[in-house]
Order: sequence, then structure tokens, then C-alpha cells
Amino acid sequence: MKTKLFKATLYAGTAVLFLSSCKPEVDAPKPLKGSIDVTKYISIGNSITAGYADNALYYDAQIVSYPNLIAQQFKMIGGGNFIQPLVPPASVGIGSALNARYVLGLKTDCAGNTSLAPVYSAAYGDLNIFGTSVAANGPFNNMSVPGLKTTTTIYPGYGDYTRGVGNFNPFFTRMTTQPQSASILSDAMAQNPTFFSLSIGNDDVMSYALAGAAADVITPSEGPIGYGFSESFDLIVNTLTAAGAKGVIANIPNINSIPYFTTIPYNGLVLDEANAAGLSAAYAQLGISFHAGANGFIIEDGTAPGGLRQIKPEEMVLLSTPQDSLKCAGWGSLKPIPDQYVLTEDEAAQINEAVSAYNTKIKLVADAKGLAFADVNTFMNRVRTGIIYNGISMNAQFVSGGVFSLDGVHLTPIGNALLANEFIKAINSRYGSSIPQIDATKYKGVIFPF
Amino acid sequence: MKKVAFLFIIALPSLLKAQGFQVSLQGQKQQAMAGAGAGLAQDGASLFYNPGAVSFLKQNSISLGVTPVISHGQYTDGPSSVVSETKSPVSYPFTGYAVLGNKNSKLKYGFAAYTPFGSTIDWQNDWTGRFVINHLQLFAVYLQPTVSYKISEKLGIGGGFIYSTGKVNLQRDIPVSNSEGGYGKAELDGRTSGYGFNAGIYYKPSSIFSLGLTYHSKVDMDVKKGKASFTVPASLEASFPSGNFSTSISLPKIITFGIGITPTSKLSIALDASVVGWNTFDTLRFDYEKNTSELADTKSPRNYKNAYAYRLGTQYTLNKKVDVRIGIKYLVSPIKDGYVSPDVPDATHFNYSAGVGYKLSSRLTADASFTFQRMKRSDTNFESQLSGTYKTNIYMPGFSLNYNF
Repeated sequence: MKTKLFKATLYAGTAVLFLSSCKPEVDAPKPLKGSIDVTKYISIGNSITAGYADNALYYDAQIVSYPNLIAQQFKMIGGGNFIQPLVPPASVGIGSALNARYVLGLKTDCAGNTSLAPVYSAAYGDLNIFGTSVAANGPFNNMSVPGLKTTTTIYPGYGDYTRGVGNFNPFFTRMTTQPQSASILSDAMAQNPTFFSLSIGNDDVMSYALAGAAADVITPSEGPIGYGFSESFDLIVNTLTAAGAKGVIANIPNINSIPYFTTIPYNGLVLDEANAAGLSAAYAQLGISFHAGANGFIIEDGTAPGGLRQIKPEEMVLLSTPQDSLKCAGWGSLKPIPDQYVLTEDEAAQINEAVSAYNTKIKLVADAKGLAFADVNTFMNRVRTGIIYNGISMNAQFVSGGVFSLDGVHLTPIGNALLANEFIKAINSRYGSSIPQIDATKYKGVIFPF
Repeated sequence: MKKVAFLFIIALPSLLKAQGFQVSLQGQKQQAMAGAGAGLAQDGASLFYNPGAVSFLKQNSISLGVTPVISHGQYTDGPSSVVSETKSPVSYPFTGYAVLGNKNSKLKYGFAAYTPFGSTIDWQNDWTGRFVINHLQLFAVYLQPTVSYKISEKLGIGGGFIYSTGKVNLQRDIPVSNSEGGYGKAELDGRTSGYGFNAGIYYKPSSIFSLGLTYHSKVDMDVKKGKASFTVPASLEASFPSGNFSTSISLPKIITFGIGITPTSKLSIALDASVVGWNTFDTLRFDYEKNTSELADTKSPRNYKNAYAYRLGTQYTLNKKVDVRIGIKYLVSPIKDGYVSPDVPDATHFNYSAGVGYKLSSRLTADASFTFQRMKRSDTNFESQLSGTYKTNIYMPGFSLNYNF
């Protein structure tokens, strides 16, 4: 009797232990490729697509470029390797002003206040990046270079440095085997892409906008191939799709969703009673008056009497404006903020008009060609008003918002992951695929080093 | 440079494991019968199930029991299909019941000490919801002195005062990245205490039928001076000051109506229906002693509705030594769509139980039970936007020793 009881208990105990170890079954859906073949995925784009962030092209940012993140998801539906023109992992990177990448660091301003701010991680960028060709590691799936415009995508010899500064792109020089004759598009097509992503048009207006409309020009929305946006865009898409490749094309964001343009308030001139009275007296002749509290900055404007005027609420002071000059050198109050740091009403209107015209064209082409359409503009607008992703609140605030990197234009790793998801959603919806989105929580925001 | 400002919604979870896990782990006999017992006077566990029935118990008794809760949680993220699991820690809710009184007295005294819930949820470290919750540990003990009075041969009433004491620990990541590649962490740790009562009426109109009606009051579990600690990069420490926090969670009132049927001396059937008053739980507040622009007090809407539980259990006496039991429960979740979160992945569900009792001697009996619960629910939480499918398997093998005298 005793042994019987003992045995029964033993059996029951074993059964309970065995049963209790059963975890819930995993039944995640199987990724489906729908009607696309992603064995050879080529991405064309500008700086964001290249993996440029914190005002430089550097390794860690390239690794989290949104096309590379998309390509990792593509592997679940038969995608191949995604090769990028990587810079060395330890490099400080290089930016368009030959600068190193930004990091957050302590900065003491002219008034002696120390605070956390973007600082360059080195005095100069890594010029070896431009001096060393990585073409032998190619061909590259990520055919994206900072500064690429729609018009220059088809420009043969885009990597030819003998054409002189401004007439070639050193980011392309380092990655093409034929700098003298190749274009971004020809190097892309030489790889016979089965699927492409095209995110172009941004720099056709952005280099002008970033420079405060004081350098470069906006690509006209219409004009001959290589000059006008629409015609060049048509040629690129026609070429990419000529052999039957499918793809996704993206529109471009408005500048009001980008912290570079929105961080410094137009009325950032905060005065006390005495200073307001003093400035009002100084500007009395021009009919400009100031009051205690927030005032609009004084900006340069060649068309205004005296070459200066007070800024209007819809005008933008750019993030590139030297902070010390605003704080201590009388910029915006005693002296006007120079033209290249300001987008006036007219300039902003031209930019918005171009963005709107490009976006209309891009949507038209996507529909006409039956391509997937990633609505990056709407996405960036959502970021501007604030999004919540798996418990993380993010928005377009500079540094604290989490989505934009320290240059206020390009994205953080998690920003890139969220952007990549917009592309994946667009692809799934157009081609009947079910490519899982990226778990964006695996990617970082702005890094706080201490 | 603008001051670094953070949108930091510390959307702290509800501490309501109580619902998902409040599986009435009370009394091995009753557990084996799906937790039905308001309408039967079976043993010392009536201190919990129906204090009114205690005066009908034929013997004095002391009983000690434990029910390890083994839970396996899983979350499949909807958009990314990434599967995360809990680390499946085991918790050990226990029960102790003592019923005393003169054999012929109409008055019985009892003392119950038990864990009304006791659970830990611990998600894998890098899981996608770690900015919502990583770790939640809740542990409470109820101490319940009780009196029960037999008004007549057919009617008994009883009531107990509940003092509750417990602790809560809650951890999650903060979405700020440090240079080592890690994230900030928030930990809330506090002790709770509260009061309540448990009362019941037991009516036995015939030898076959018995009825019970019980009222478990709500028990406020206040955390008055909990400790909130934030681990963030030094440059952000001023934004996330560690300090005290307070919160209040009420475990809801439960009203249960039970029917007991004993057609023969060998067979008994118990049928219970409960309403659990979760509808008062509309907001979860956390008050931080030190607020900053980045660390504000939070009000997280929960908008629970009442939960309903239906239990059916039966016991059959095989022979002089052995009883066998089986039961089934159906529970309607109080959590509305849009409010499911990984701290309480609760769902409307069934659970299944079975058990056996063995008479070791004239005074000593041993009871064992096994309860299995399986839940699955897909939801998009409107506050965190976490969108996916939760699956939970919970196993509750229990054992008790009862000494009757």
C-alpha cells in the first residue's frame, strides 16, 4: 500500500513537472514575398539613404541606414546580401564641410555657461575616406551618396575629381570603379536590380534650404533631362523599371518637419524692459520697436530699407546660426542675422512650392508605374506632432525628440528603423507581401555619453 | 543650447496581476473544483470562501498549503513578428487556515493567512516592450481573523477582518541611450498595506442543498513612500531625480453566490458565480515627490469593467481513503480592448483543474490539485501602441496537509 502510494505520487509529480514546462506555441506568421523578387535590391538616394547622420558619413550610421535595415528584413523573403561602401569602423567620419561627426559633449558658451550640445568628435573629418577608393569592395547595393540630386543621379563622370570642386561628388568617387564615366544610375543598372528603392528629390531643394537660400539653387520642377526635376525623375524610373524590376519610391518631407529649420524660434530675442527701450531707440528710424519679453530677431534683407528688418513669424532661423553670436555678439538685435542663416518668407515659399511640386510628380509616377509609394512626408509630419512606438514617445524636437540625429536633418538609428518600416508597409501594401517590420526598439536614439 | 527635455510618460502598469492571477489559490479541495466553494462547507478554506460556512464545519482543523504558480508568457509583436518570452519565474502562494471552537458551540473562531496573489512577471531583457515593463513583482499576505456563528441548523453567518501587507517592485527601461549601448532604467519599489473584510452567509435548507453568499470587500493597497530610482546618464540625472513616489491600487470587491449540491454522501457539486468590481478602476496614478519637466506625475487611464467568474466543480469519494475532484472555470476579463498591457496580459479564458484527496490517518489528510490556465489575446494598447498577441500558459500544482481534531 505504502509503495503504491509512493509510486502514484511519483508518477503524478513527474507528470505535473512535465506538463508545467509547456510554453505557449509560437505561431508568428510566415513572411510572404508576394509579387516581388528581392534577390538583388538596389537603393538610390541621398545622404539619409547613404547612412549619413550627425553631420557626417560614418560607419555606425551606415550600418543603420534605412535601406540596410530593409535589406535585413528582405532576407526573410529571399533577399541577398546588401553591400554598402562602408567607411572604417573607428573613423570619425566625414561631412560635407570636411568635418567629423557630431557627438553630444559639454560646450562652454561665450557667457561661460556649460551645457550639453553637439560638438565635433574631432577637429577635422577623416579625409582618408575621400582619399581611399573602396570600389574594389563593390558593386554596392546602396548606391546612395550625400548631396545626390535627381539631376545628378544621371550625370556621367559624377565621380571625376578632375572636374573640380562642385562638379563631382567625392562620396561617389570613392565607390565607383569608373569615376570618369559612371553615373549613380549606370552603376546601379550594371547590377541588374530585381528590386529598387528610390528616394530622391530632397537635395534638389535641401542644399538650397540648408544654406539659408544663400547658396545653390532649387532644381526647377520642369526642364530638360539633367536640369529639370520631372524629366530627370522620369528617366531614372524608366531606366530602373525597363527590365521589369519592381520597387518603392518615396516622396520628400516638408522643411517644417525638420528640426534644423524649427529649433530656433523666430522670436528668440528675449529682452528686459531696459534693453527693449534701448533697441527701440536704436531702431526708431526704421520704425522697429521692441518690448520686454520675446521679440522677433533682426535679420539681413537686402530688399529692406537699411538692408535689415525684423523677422516675420513664418520665417525661419536655421540651426546653423552660431549660438555665441546670438548670445554675445548682438546678432539678431544690434546686428542683423546674416542671410545664410535665415529663410525668409519668399525663400520658404519657393522651397515649399518645390517640395510640393516634386511630391506631386513622385506620386504620379508611382501610380503610373504601379510602384509602391512610401509617404515619407506624411510620416515626418506625424513625427513632428509626436508619435508613440512601443511605449517610447518621440517627436521632432532637436536632441530630445529621439528621431533626429545631432545635425537636426538626418535620423538617429531608431529614426531610420521607423523610416524603414514606412517603406516596408508601402511594399507590403502594394505587392501583397508580408515582410515583417523592424523591431525599432532595438535601435538607439541620441546617445548621452555621460 | 536648449535644455534637453524629455517626453517621459512613465506609463506604469496596473499592478493588477491580481486579476489575471487571482485564481483563488485557496484550499486544495476547492482549487481542484475550479475554486468553487461559497456554497459548500468543506474545510478550513471556508474562512476564505465563505466565513458563514465555517460554523458548519464538523471538526476543528489546521491546514497548510502551497501552490507554486508556474507561468510562461509570450508576446508576438504584430508589426515585426518578433517573439518575446517571460523568464517564467515560479511564485509560491501559500495558505494557512486554523478553525477552532467547541464541538457543540455555535461559535467558531478562525484565523487565515494567505497570499491572495503572488506573482512575478519578468520579460526577457531586450524585449520589445521593455519601455513599458520589464519586471513586475507583487507579493501580498492577507491576515484574516474570523468569527462564524451558526444562527440555526440551517443558517450560519461569519465575517473576518483583513489586514494586508505586501511589496511591489516594478522595473522598466527608459528610452535614453548611454555610451555603452545600454538604456536608462527605472525601478519603483515599495511596501503596501491595507485593510478590508470578508463576510458570508451560509444557508442549508436540506441535506442535499446549500447556498452561500459572500462579500469580499475591496482592499486598498497603498504605497505611501515607495522608492523611485532612475539610472540614467549623469547629464540627465537632474531630469530624472530619484526619490519617493506614492500610488494607490485597490483590489476590487468580489461578490459571490454559490450553490452546493450533495445528492449522496459520496458526491458533491459546487457552482459559484462571482462579480469582481473592477469597474472602479479607471485611472492609475503615480505621484512622484520630485517632479521635473521630464518626470511628471502620471495618470494612466485603465477604464476596467467588472469581471465575472463562473465556476463548476465536483468531488467524488472513491473509497474510504480517496476523494477525486475536477472543475472548470470561465472568467470574463475586466480589461477592455485597447487597454491590455504586458504587465497583465489578461484575457477571457477557461481554466481546468483536477485533484485528489488522501486520508493518511484518521486525523491527517493530504490534498493535491492541479490547475491549468491558458490565455491568448491580441490587442493594440492605445497608450503604449504596443500591438501584438499575448499568450500565457499558467500551471498551478498545489499541495496541502490538513490536521483535523
